[in-house]
Amino acid sequence: MSFSEQVYQELAAVVGERNISREEYVLAGNRAKTPEIPFAHPSPEAIVLPGSTEEVAEIVRICNRCGIKYVAVVTGCIPSAYATGEDTIIIHLKRMNRIVEINDKDRYALIEPGVRHVQLYPEVRKRGLSYAAAAVGPGGSPLVTYSCTGGDNHVQYGTSRPSRYLLGVELVTPEGEILRTGSLQTDSGWFCPESPGPSLRGVVRGYSGNSGKVGIVTKCAIALDMCKGPAEIRREGITPHHKMIMDSDCSRVYVFNYENIQDVCDAIIALGENEIGATVQKYFYLPLTLMMTNSANEFWEKWDTYKEVMSMPLVVHLAAHSVREREYEEKILFDIINETHGTRIPREYEQWWEDHMDYFMIVSRLQSVLRLGGSWLPIKTGAESVQHMCDVGESIGEFIHDFTNTGKIFNAPENYQIIPMEYGHFASIELLFMWDRFDPDGFKNMAEFCAASRESDLKKHYHASPIMGYGKRAEKQGVLYSNCHIWAQLIYEAYNPYIGQ
Amino acid sequence: MLFPENTEQVQEIIRNAREAGRGLVPLSSEPSHFHGASVNPNAETVCFSRMNRVMKIDRRSRYARVEAGVTFGALIPLLAEQGLRLNLPFLARAGKSAAASALEREAVLIPKYQYDYPDPLLTVETVFGTGDMFRTGSAAGPGSYEASKADKILPWGPGSIDYLRFLSGAQGTIGFVTWATLKAEVLPSASRLFFIAAENAETLTDLANTLLRKRIPDECIIMNREDFAAAFGDNEAEEQTLRGVSPWIMLCRVCGYDRYPEERVDIYDGYVRDACSEVGLNAETSCSLLPGLEERIERMLTDCDRREKSWKLRLGAEQELLLLAAPSKASELIALIESELPDAGIIVQPQVQGRAFRIECNLRFEDKPGETEKYEAVLFELAKKLADKGAYFDRPYGRLTELVYNEPLSVDAMKRLKTIFDPDGILNPGKLCF
Repeated sequence: MSFSEQVYQELAAVVGERNISREEYVLAGNRAKTPEIPFAHPSPEAIVLPGSTEEVAEIVRICNRCGIKYVAVVTGCIPSAYATGEDTIIIHLKRMNRIVEINDKDRYALIEPGVRHVQLYPEVRKRGLSYAAAAVGPGGSPLVTYSCTGGDNHVQYGTSRPSRYLLGVELVTPEGEILRTGSLQTDSGWFCPESPGPSLRGVVRGYSGNSGKVGIVTKCAIALDMCKGPAEIRREGITPHHKMIMDSDCSRVYVFNYENIQDVCDAIIALGENEIGATVQKYFYLPLTLMMTNSANEFWEKWDTYKEVMSMPLVVHLAAHSVREREYEEKILFDIINETHGTRIPREYEQWWEDHMDYFMIVSRLQSVLRLGGSWLPIKTGAESVQHMCDVGESIGEFIHDFTNTGKIFNAPENYQIIPMEYGHFASIELLFMWDRFDPDGFKNMAEFCAASRESDLKKHYHASPIMGYGKRAEKQGVLYSNCHIWAQLIYEAYNPYIGQ
Repeated sequence: MLFPENTEQVQEIIRNAREAGRGLVPLSSEPSHFHGASVNPNAETVCFSRMNRVMKIDRRSRYARVEAGVTFGALIPLLAEQGLRLNLPFLARAGKSAAASALEREAVLIPKYQYDYPDPLLTVETVFGTGDMFRTGSAAGPGSYEASKADKILPWGPGSIDYLRFLSGAQGTIGFVTWATLKAEVLPSASRLFFIAAENAETLTDLANTLLRKRIPDECIIMNREDFAAAFGDNEAEEQTLRGVSPWIMLCRVCGYDRYPEERVDIYDGYVRDACSEVGLNAETSCSLLPGLEERIERMLTDCDRREKSWKLRLGAEQELLLLAAPSKASELIALIESELPDAGIIVQPQVQGRAFRIECNLRFEDKPGETEKYEAVLFELAKKLADKGAYFDRPYGRLTELVYNEPLSVDAMKRLKTIFDPDGILNPGKLCF
């Protein structure tokens, strides 16, 4: 059955006339192409805005009965958040934006999909708590980060990935049922992600999320950590030229530069062994220069200098419970930096970090990365041991110059970040590259570079480019990963009888 | 009983059993077996005692990879030689399989190193009920085990499914694990153990909540006097003496690592004392009930239990009840156990950074006919009352399955999993809801 007036009216009866639309100007806003993809998405038939889990379930049941496809969306930041064919509606979850509960004693926040980082983070911080906000900016949805997508973040050194922090989950299954996982399965609250026995939590997300293939997550609890530092931080200036300054004698930011990645690796491992620092990361110099400058012109003026001063920057945020502890951590930090041949960057550059402590919370300046007007893409995005990720980083030089030297991508060969997790037990890597989106060959160049990166990883047997997709699409890689594409397909088919339709 | 020596043999055993429609149950630890997960009258036992190789210990990336039959007793000294330690369960039996312990989500002593419930389990190789071999997380690939250059330690995936969670807590119903990678931590260079006594459990669970949200202690465990005496006393007379301790006691250790270890211990000592004084408690570094008790306890907290007989079986037999509680529920549940069974031993272990408590109720008794059944029934009745108050039985053994598998939709969802990985239901049949 195709989308019809009758289907529209049925959906309207669920959410109310105010919360459904098929106006052309509304549909247009929900098929906009993203800059890095040079083609428009097909138009959805309608946009539906449910206000509750029960309404989502009812919508799904109507879609199933009428043969209508649907895509659940919150921010629309990723290409898969759009209709990909005809007879598809968008279930937009932005009305479901309640912070249902922040439980101080049990340290979790119970949230709906439409809650944004900018909404949740200040609320938990007021209570002396924090969580790992993914590097997606303040407008990102914590629920999506934790349950549906990836989620590397800038504070994972002292904490971890969202994979560790997703607790109880409520989701509407593809069959339109409301399923609750973990301790919710026995009405014991939201605090534990594990089912009694084998855990259904494993179906919800793995390294990455599965972008709604097994259902629409309508609520989830995420674990919170204690926040070291004041409940509120001081602001100066007006956005986007603001400063966010943490006035705390227990907190300091240091930035060191290195000449080779193996020294960085040694430093990260030694810091982790001694449990020093709240945040440690080998950052990438291109986004850093973009964040530290206020215009494209200023970027081009300073790029040559900045990329030399911060060619391989190691950013360390110390956050202690006391001044004495901070001094103790500083002592160890400087010992390690000396032993690993790091050099502290000039204070004028380092000061930027002290003035922008919001970076360590909700990464509010990330949008500056888009300022040059090109397209950009993060690749690799895998994780493993710190040593393995540094080896992967070192190998980038073996294939990137074919692309940078010919102008196919922006000339920034060391533009990858490595962020350790759990005090150096693991680390993630992200190779961010940019290209000219007005170049007729830009999209092709991008695809070639992605292929070269993946090929390099597979050839060297590096675990750095996570396997994506399922079934036939993932077959070529899946055979190299314990045939996981076969198991993933069986799981998706078991939980989603409509998958592939 | 079948004794495979490698993964290929495990695959062959499972394929043969599948063809014959025969049940199999895995066994990795030496006796005694407490929970019954490895006992199944409807299945042949697959004993992993010959798969006992320590495959790798990596100091730099801090992990150990061990076959299923490697015991705590064998592994702990090998790790210590390289300056590493495991996040251990409390008085783990020396003959307990390190992999099985982690797979069973046994409570660990150092909550700050536990970010998630399966921690310290990182990756595993398993043979599913189909006979297929599979490796989880970054152990999956790319390429064969030998070809992959990864350390094979990342727990999640491969891809968007968390396969490790299907095996964790599954009591061998999804796949038989042949090896596991376990997270290891730096062996401390300095430490200080505190005894914090209290009249009730709530004061100590609140204190644990305060300390752990700041990641202050390494080991942290709360016990009532019954279990304190039974665990640390070596005989009846010592037990009697140790019952002189306060009704509740927290043992908590702060540590220093490679660099300036004493300085870290001093700083963290101050944090413990400050937190205690805020709630009117004292953090003592000595306990004078027995000579040398402090050293004995510190040694026992950092090793497995190498005594010939388990402390839980000193009277002959025991029954125990394990549950999880959110911090806000813990004191109410403990109070209920105390009121229902005043003589029971109780251990309360903060888990996952202190965001949950594993509560263990222990009943020890003489091994006489009918006694086990009697106490089993007592604990089952208690479990029902605890469940009504919000206790979560995430590791349901025996009759507890009756309490946890009542919600049809989630049970159906779990059965779909079982059908994928063990379509003929040959792995530990009859356990859990399968």
